[in-house]
Amino acid sequence: MTELDKISRRDFIRVSVLAGGGLLVACGGGGSSSRSNAPSGPGDNGGGTPVTPADAFQVGEFMRISTDNKITVLVGASEIGQGALTSIPMIVAEELDADWSQVTAEMSPVAANFNNPYFQNLLQFTVASSAIRGYFQGQRSVGAAVRQMLINAAAKRWGVEADTLRTEASFVIDDIGGRRASYGELSSAAAEEPIPNNPPLKDPAAYRIIGSSQQRLDAADKTNGSFRYGMDVDIPNMLTAVIARPPRFNGQALNVDDNAALAVPGVRSVHTILGGVAVVADDFWSADKGRKALIVQWNELLAGRTDSDTQRNAYNLRLNLPGLPIRTDGLVLLAQTLASETISADYYFPFMAHAAMEPLNVVVDYDGSSAEIWTGTQSATLDKIFAGLILGLLPDQITFHMMPSGGGFGRRGNPLADFVRDACAVAKAVRQPVKVIWTREDDMKGGFYRPAAAVRVSASIDSANNISAWTHRSVTQDVTALLYAENLLDSLADFTLPPLKELTDFETGMPYKIDNVLMDAHLTVNLAMPALWMRSVNKFSDVFAQETFIDELAMKVGKNPYNFRRDLLSEKPRHRAVLDAVADAAGWGFSSGGISQGIAVMGHWNSFVAQVVEVSVSANRELTIHRVVSAVDCGTAINPDLVIAQVESAVIFALSSILFGEILLEDGVVQQSNFDDYPVLRMYQTPVIETVIVNSGNPVGGVGELGVPCVGPALANAIFEATNERIRELPLTRSNFKIA
Amino acid sequence: MFTIRVNGVEHTVDASEDKPLLWVLRENLKLTGTKYGCGQALCGSCTVHVDGQPTRSCVMPISAVGNKQIRTIEDINTEHIGSLVQQTWQTLNVPQCGYCQSGQIMAATALLKNNASPSDQDIDKAMSGNICRCGTYPRIRKAIHKIAAEQL
Ligand code: FES
Ligand code: FES
Repeated sequence: MTELDKISRRDFIRVSVLAGGGLLVACGGGGSSSRSNAPSGPGDNGGGTPVTPADAFQVGEFMRISTDNKITVLVGASEIGQGALTSIPMIVAEELDADWSQVTAEMSPVAANFNNPYFQNLLQFTVASSAIRGYFQGQRSVGAAVRQMLINAAAKRWGVEADTLRTEASFVIDDIGGRRASYGELSSAAAEEPIPNNPPLKDPAAYRIIGSSQQRLDAADKTNGSFRYGMDVDIPNMLTAVIARPPRFNGQALNVDDNAALAVPGVRSVHTILGGVAVVADDFWSADKGRKALIVQWNELLAGRTDSDTQRNAYNLRLNLPGLPIRTDGLVLLAQTLASETISADYYFPFMAHAAMEPLNVVVDYDGSSAEIWTGTQSATLDKIFAGLILGLLPDQITFHMMPSGGGFGRRGNPLADFVRDACAVAKAVRQPVKVIWTREDDMKGGFYRPAAAVRVSASIDSANNISAWTHRSVTQDVTALLYAENLLDSLADFTLPPLKELTDFETGMPYKIDNVLMDAHLTVNLAMPALWMRSVNKFSDVFAQETFIDELAMKVGKNPYNFRRDLLSEKPRHRAVLDAVADAAGWGFSSGGISQGIAVMGHWNSFVAQVVEVSVSANRELTIHRVVSAVDCGTAINPDLVIAQVESAVIFALSSILFGEILLEDGVVQQSNFDDYPVLRMYQTPVIETVIVNSGNPVGGVGELGVPCVGPALANAIFEATNERIRELPLTRSNFKIA
Repeated sequence: MFTIRVNGVEHTVDASEDKPLLWVLRENLKLTGTKYGCGQALCGSCTVHVDGQPTRSCVMPISAVGNKQIRTIEDINTEHIGSLVQQTWQTLNVPQCGYCQSGQIMAATALLKNNASPSDQDIDKAMSGNICRCGTYPRIRKAIHKIAAEQL
């Protein structure tokens, strides 16, 4: 309970806790603040009809069980496509022994009792593949506690001992007495039962829902157009705004000539805000036309001048300097001195855009004393705090609707809340409900990219042809620097952030049995170049370098890349298991007809993955990617079909990045704008994707990012197999490869 | 003032002549199932049927609609194939974030209406204008084949 004590000492959080109605969240249970519906007493129920008209009770607002036996689970993690609205209720339903066909899900309010335990219960924050890992244990306890309360209520009603009763599919069953009662019938009485402290959890062998492939609960609404995203929010008197932003980051509007803009029919007003100039209109089209008519002179004194080429040179120079050690095993220098040979390679990765399908957007209804906000976000708690700072409101004066998102990939998990702050600034000026829409171009040019990175790896080979030393140096931008640099954070008084820097996800898990290892990193600070985590963060670049270089070493010592890895993984059973599984599933070594294979393996987020990519390369450097096979061990797969869907998704996301992903800056100006100059993978370019789940029965691991990092190196290794060329930079268009 | 026919109903809309059909649907008619993704006919999120043809509504000005019949995702279940596509999408867990899926479903329905047993190449051709950042392409392909094989 220490976390809880900490939380309640913090004003921001405490208010949210009260508003949320429960304080027992930290131990995974729930407290009920709304028992006014409770029945007068138990035991007077005839034949299954509800005792009172009361139709629901709440356990810390985590779920509602209605008298018609329907269960609604409130989900604190963001739904960004990964299926949180399905898999988290599955966890609750499992321990509750619920009838899954009667379970529905809703996004929770933004309140402390829905904070992600992975982030020390401090935030609702859906990044770092943390939703299932964070919520798993707590959700189980909630389900188990409520189940116990339902049993206790039934025991009282029937005058029997609770431990003679069992539960199944939303019924409490008395086998001896030959009777049963639905959870719905019992719900009102159960709400009066004390909340059990340590409800027993199921043995995983008894799972009925966890581990079964279930249809997504949002599948129907996502196929008939009725699923509501932030972009679809519509409230009375709502205006629409677009923001003209400076051509270079951190530019400021100096002179604004808005005459032509205001002359556009439908345009209502023009406001200069911190990040640009907002054009507010009756509808999107007028706002966008108004923006085109706007003439702004920008003050670029403090503007960012990041230039892709210059930065690359600077990063390459930094590779020569020792960085901050992040892993040191043995004595690398000595091993290098004794080695018969040390080889090294440098890699470079550009800025990349998340380009989620739903461009950013926020609706704010601010009337001077309270506000209501709707937005698709992965970082609702911080968004709400920043909104309060901009609008001058306390958290309990803000109703924040965390909307499901049309993709996030990290962009909607910005601890700086850039898009929410912009929108609040507009709303403050307008004092009328307003939806701020980012066009695709705004989204593409709006920064907060995956930061560029340079990596150098080296390996030393001793006289027995063993790898005796390994070094790995990364240079990349600190994506959290802005947060600590901005004074805004100071005004949050005692608010403590979880260790966000850890989310940089540098690769330190190099799994191979090498005695002497040195990994170090340079985290550069560039406050005029907004960067942010993107699906798999630095694993994308670090694992690319590691897994292509290990392949190079295999060739050098004349071994098959699969066997070479396997031998070096003798002490890593879970790595080895996925490696074996993928080799088996892909038929490693048995490709034919001009098809080349490449392989890669890694572990992170408490999960493990190995992938094989099959490619053929034509004489004019056209790549045909035939097949990507993955073997994943995520400990316990809650909903195996959604795990497979996430891997498919990650493979395609990775291929987009590897083949084309590049945001270029020239003297601070982003050169890309839409899907024509920032292409992403399309149907005709998509390979066959096969995925096997290796069920290790271990604790739940993360899945959302797992399928990304190995695709690049496996593809590059396959390209080497086909062409004898080593890939040292991405995207592949830089090496003049085309996709067929 | 323009009068357009959407999902079998006539609507009179007060909008500037260059306002794209996409925004007329979303803002004037409150049919928000059709999505904005790029505004440049590059992503397919805004696909609707215009006289049965899959069309990017983000680049079709309302003035160009005339008497043509518009059908959107909200009404595609009234077509046999449209409803098959929706059901199969659900069965196979096709949607992830779901944002692109209105466009995907409109494109797939149009394909299957013209071609009861599309080859992989036919699918590539009909569906490659529709971007899915969540990478649901393999399931979309599977769903189209499944409908063709089992229900058409
Ligand atoms: S929004 Fe029309 S094609 Fe992208
Ligand atoms: S399902 Fe998310 S973009 Fe297609």
